[in-house]
Amino acid sequence: MDFLGHFWSNVALGFGVAGTPFNLLLCFVGVFLGTLIGVLPGIGPMTGVALLIPLTFSLQPASAIILMAGIYYGAMYGGSTTSILVNTPGESASVVTCLDGYQMAKKGRAGPALAAAAIGSFVAGTFATLMLMLFGPWVAGIALKFGPPEFFSLMLAGLTVVTSLAGRSLVKALFSTLFGLAIATMGIDNQSGVPRFTFGNPELMDGLEFLTVAIGLFALCEVFVNLANMKDAVQERLSIKGGLWLTKEDWKRFIPSCIRGTLSGFFVGGIAGAGAAVASFVSYGLEKKVSKYRDELGHGAIEGVTGPESANNAAAGGSLIHLLCLGIPGSGTTAIMLGALLMIGLQPGPLLFTQQPEFVWGLIASMYIGNVMLLVLNLPLVGMWVKLLDVPLYLLMLFIIMFSFLGVYTMNNSVQDLFIMVLFGVIGYLMKRVDIPAAPIILGIVLGKLMEEKMRQSLVISDGSLMIFITRPISLFLLFLAFVAITNPYWKQIGRGVRRLFGGAPAA
Amino acid sequence: MFKKSFTMVALILLLCIGFTASSEGAAYPSRPLEIVAPANPGGGWDAMARTINRVLEIEKLYPQPISVINKPGGGGAVGLAYIFMKKGDDHELVVFSPPLIINTLNKTFTQNYKELTPLAKLITDYQVFIVKADSPYKTFNDLLAAVKKNPNAVKFAGGSSPGSMDHLAFCKVAKMAGINPKDLSYVAFSGGGEALTTLLGGNVAFVSSGTGEVLTHIQAGTVRALAITSGVRGGGPLKDVPTLKELGINTTYEVWRGVFGAPGMSKEAQAWWANTIKKMVGTKTWKESLEKLQWVPAYEDANGFAKFLKEEEKSYLDLMTDLGFAK
Repeated sequence: MDFLGHFWSNVALGFGVAGTPFNLLLCFVGVFLGTLIGVLPGIGPMTGVALLIPLTFSLQPASAIILMAGIYYGAMYGGSTTSILVNTPGESASVVTCLDGYQMAKKGRAGPALAAAAIGSFVAGTFATLMLMLFGPWVAGIALKFGPPEFFSLMLAGLTVVTSLAGRSLVKALFSTLFGLAIATMGIDNQSGVPRFTFGNPELMDGLEFLTVAIGLFALCEVFVNLANMKDAVQERLSIKGGLWLTKEDWKRFIPSCIRGTLSGFFVGGIAGAGAAVASFVSYGLEKKVSKYRDELGHGAIEGVTGPESANNAAAGGSLIHLLCLGIPGSGTTAIMLGALLMIGLQPGPLLFTQQPEFVWGLIASMYIGNVMLLVLNLPLVGMWVKLLDVPLYLLMLFIIMFSFLGVYTMNNSVQDLFIMVLFGVIGYLMKRVDIPAAPIILGIVLGKLMEEKMRQSLVISDGSLMIFITRPISLFLLFLAFVAITNPYWKQIGRGVRRLFGGAPAA
Repeated sequence: MFKKSFTMVALILLLCIGFTASSEGAAYPSRPLEIVAPANPGGGWDAMARTINRVLEIEKLYPQPISVINKPGGGGAVGLAYIFMKKGDDHELVVFSPPLIINTLNKTFTQNYKELTPLAKLITDYQVFIVKADSPYKTFNDLLAAVKKNPNAVKFAGGSSPGSMDHLAFCKVAKMAGINPKDLSYVAFSGGGEALTTLLGGNVAFVSSGTGEVLTHIQAGTVRALAITSGVRGGGPLKDVPTLKELGINTTYEVWRGVFGAPGMSKEAQAWWANTIKKMVGTKTWKESLEKLQWVPAYEDANGFAKFLKEEEKSYLDLMTDLGFAK
């Protein structure tokens, strides 16, 4: 009872802080800028927050974090927009959304896709906030159990998603994954400090930027495909068919995938701290495994948008738990926020909840408010965005080219990145011609670097013994999940074989 | 609406052209200043560059516009390559710290940093060695004794690859304490946060870290700082942390940050900056910024900085040759 009373007084305190006109304004500015930042490829939430730091110097700590957090989760909303409309991911956590989002747009269903992304983000964002409020310190405690071995096993389990990204041929998907894993080895090796495959080029020392490759493989590739079909494409439009809003059937499919995306995203991104991009991939794989409509994924299924978009928002909210309760940043963006908070003279970490209640609860309240604002802001925008599709296809292709070049250049101010992007556009086109799926490359890059790093860290800790992966319970459990995911398509066959072997009646 | 804004833009462009044309040939500085941050926004180099930018602007010390440009990649390699392309350009500055020397010695950088024009050393930070609150190592000497006994069993972590600051800082101390740094077992993470998580999760024995990243944890008591690499004790939560010297290990480890001009900066520009930076570090705005960022002022003029760099290089060369990182 006492606990509850205390809890409600904290909630009231939070809304008191977040509800002042000035903080409401900052929250709105944050989520609005965040949406814009998410929509524009290249300017990620990390750059957005970093550039605002000088501004936060003069603000109260609570106001500063309300603004920065708004940008962070706002970007997760906006990132899906260009993925769906023009096959160009606005930030790294929205790459998977391209797969089904753009297919939906091609079928004239961009409206429901955008709406599903917005609502899914809202549900997941609110859920993550709720978890932060109720169980923050407890979740943070579990997060600490994720050392390098657990992380490696999680990544390995994530890699089983590849079977779900395969088109018709698993071999081709594996080829594509290996290519991605190979690319992931480029750059300075963190475990030895030795540069690999950099050819003495300083710009290759950090490896290939994942978003550069993704934009080449998806966005530019789409342009090339349309160029090849130039004759028919010139006057074609991706016009809207049907309503902008979800139908009854859509809702029925939306709800379960949204719940799965939220929970898996919160686990992978929020608890384990593997980041929003990994979370979105895992969610997509999960849909492919358990959704009733798994065969439609890849051809414009609403689950392929809802799942990943819910997952990346749940992950973003989750990584704020790491920042606030542990004082440890779970992502690049929260790392910058940590720096900014230190500058304002505030120390995130275990003491924050007791020492600065108005700060913590103000932030939590502002996240509820911000998520509602984002929903209200984004749903009407759907009508505006889909108008963009009402131009002839050749004009849309020009948009894509402009967005891609602008986005990739602003990431690192590097011209070389533009060449790399074009190169991957060509690679993507060639792969499409021989029917090799491109998405596994992205998966390989996202997981490859982390997987290698975590495996080698584990082995240094264990003095080279592989037992470390199976003697730790969480790690063992994740490996078991990976095993189940890989073998599950063959269970029926094995079962049939076993029955036949023992002379039982063969199954129909 | 569109027409109007277009005319505006055109007007502004015209003004700019007129402005640069009229100021050509005037005394230094005659053009806008560009400060290169050889990393992404958010890191220490970026913060340094932006602080310089802000103070020069607020105190009206630079009569032309100033901008910071981020050139991330290769631990500073891309930024260094960029500033070398600006050879002889007096309106280019770059900020750097120990990796400038480390990455030159291990040949990650292909250019020779000595061609840069050192202008001033500005601030410094130190390393701390921390253990988890419930660690059996109560003092730094406990820890050193355990490392001495079995270096491989006492794993330590840091937020950067082997042969960079987090690793080298402890190697330097170990060497002074009579331990062969090659025997140490170091786990490299990509960021101080990850290293800290691993420590708190009980996966490594101790962590070598810059002070800023762990202050909050020291204050909260989740970790214990056993030693700091500064010459005198720090303030605030660090006031109870003994220095290496107090512990009988006669060494320090500095994470300095300084500012350089492009290679071949003119004598005139060098003199102008010597004067201006001296003014800058004396301003209230500068001092306040440092306090906010918890940076320790460590101003040295161009000559002092150049001498300091020479000493640093020698010390790193010794250490890195021992460890096999210098090539």
